[in-house]
Amino acid sequence: MQAGLSTKNAPSIWVVAPHFLLGPVSFLLASLYLLANYGALLGYHINAPILTVLHLMILGWVTMIIFGALYQLIPVVMEVKLFSETLAYITLAGFVSGLFFLIAAFMGYEFQLTNNFVIGGTLIIVAVLVFTVNTLITALKSEKKNVSKLYIVSSTIYLLLTVMMGLFIVLNLKYAWLPKAHTEFLETHVVIGLVGWFLMLVIGVAATLMPMFLIVHKTRKDFLRWGFYLINAGVITIFAITFINQVPVIVSFIAYLLILSGLVLFLLFNYDVFSHRMRKKLDVGMRLSAIALVILSLSVISFILVYFGNSTLGFPAGRVEIMAGLLLVYGFFTGLILGQTYKTLPFIIWLFYYQKLVGRQKTPLPADLYSDRLATIHMYSFALSVLLFVAGLLFSLEVLLELGAVAMVFTSIVYGVNVYRMIFHKKQIIK
Amino acid sequence: MIQKNFTDEELKVVEVLKQVPDPEVGVNIVDLGLVYTVIKDDEKKTLTVDVTLSTPGCPVGDTIIQHIQTILEVTYPEYNVTVNLVWEPQWTPDMITEQGQMELNQ
Repeated sequence: MQAGLSTKNAPSIWVVAPHFLLGPVSFLLASLYLLANYGALLGYHINAPILTVLHLMILGWVTMIIFGALYQLIPVVMEVKLFSETLAYITLAGFVSGLFFLIAAFMGYEFQLTNNFVIGGTLIIVAVLVFTVNTLITALKSEKKNVSKLYIVSSTIYLLLTVMMGLFIVLNLKYAWLPKAHTEFLETHVVIGLVGWFLMLVIGVAATLMPMFLIVHKTRKDFLRWGFYLINAGVITIFAITFINQVPVIVSFIAYLLILSGLVLFLLFNYDVFSHRMRKKLDVGMRLSAIALVILSLSVISFILVYFGNSTLGFPAGRVEIMAGLLLVYGFFTGLILGQTYKTLPFIIWLFYYQKLVGRQKTPLPADLYSDRLATIHMYSFALSVLLFVAGLLFSLEVLLELGAVAMVFTSIVYGVNVYRMIFHKKQIIK
Repeated sequence: MIQKNFTDEELKVVEVLKQVPDPEVGVNIVDLGLVYTVIKDDEKKTLTVDVTLSTPGCPVGDTIIQHIQTILEVTYPEYNVTVNLVWEPQWTPDMITEQGQMELNQ
């Protein structure tokens, strides 16, 4: 084997594909549930329908796809084979069964601890623990030292911390063992989950993939290194002050400022990559990713507005939080996943069907495995749904939220059809 | 080392290599500047090609190498084909030919 090649490090298709089969189902279910409860978006941000949709989106959709994509991307980023595929299957089994109980718990959530929370939370913690062990051992085996690896390793530790905190928070509903109000822990749970896990991971993966896909060699990795220190400092501070009483408000303000500065550096890194790219024409996957990055900028602005408070801005309680969360979880994470699916999944499917045929027969390219037209359609419906949601929240118009939810359901269906077409691809030989 | 001058026979090999695309971008490896040297020795019946990849972690790297090996063995069955993957000099986007740049943005 030639050094530096990662196809031989690629995981089995059977490790990756189930995540892409299940993820779109969660996305569709979350969209349908939101369509049935879109009015909840105009209420306070902590309510049963919002929590149900949020956890279905974050765990069942975003984390599910990230797990599958990471098993494929770790060999690319770390240039090493995944430590154990068996552990990956154990993670998936625990995660899916835990999610089932957890969603049932949130659907009937009345601020009380139920068995579904305990069973679901425990199963998810076990699944995430196995995932973390698998990732960390893989990282230890890798001799590669780069900024992507730093981000990915840190993010998996934050994921473990997030799910553990989640379980402690619901257990606190009965045992009241937390030293402060559970809402403060909830805030930390959200920050560690969204920033520590998702954003850190996204930055880590993007650091390798964005320049690779857009063909850029000299990138501003220094932005990402500084971003790493700033974001970590912010997240660790937020985590630490949760356990300390009477911390001056300025401390948490500075912590959020550090996180925002790191995010801005990430956006600048991407701006630099996009402006120096050799590949001027963007395919649908990169166009969706670019849209997601624009939405991330809007999300950053919304989170700044959260700090000013709803009443100052003339909104009812929880409105800006919902808008910021929606822009981040649906706008950014979902947009990025919709786009990057077309930059990752086709390759593992293509390698499975055609690797042994290259040079002997004319084969399709990975980009031929999905419908560009369907991807373009759901790119527009996705952007439309984000616009409708934001307008609906700004002007308190339920009809716009309903239309936004319809566009979201449509997006999830079209995306799901395209992904399933790829996974159930039939081998073709071009004559 | 990047070969500057090719014999007519070697240019025919380069033309054959233009049938090998980078599966991600869909542009052939010659126009992407990934082929560094082509040495065709008619006496020893050997064909040696040095190629690089745009990035060491390239997820389809060894598929490209396999494609080159297979297509050369099929085209030159009487030759002993060797494909070397090299990392020096490091590939940069400046190595993409004008034709490659055009195809990238079509």
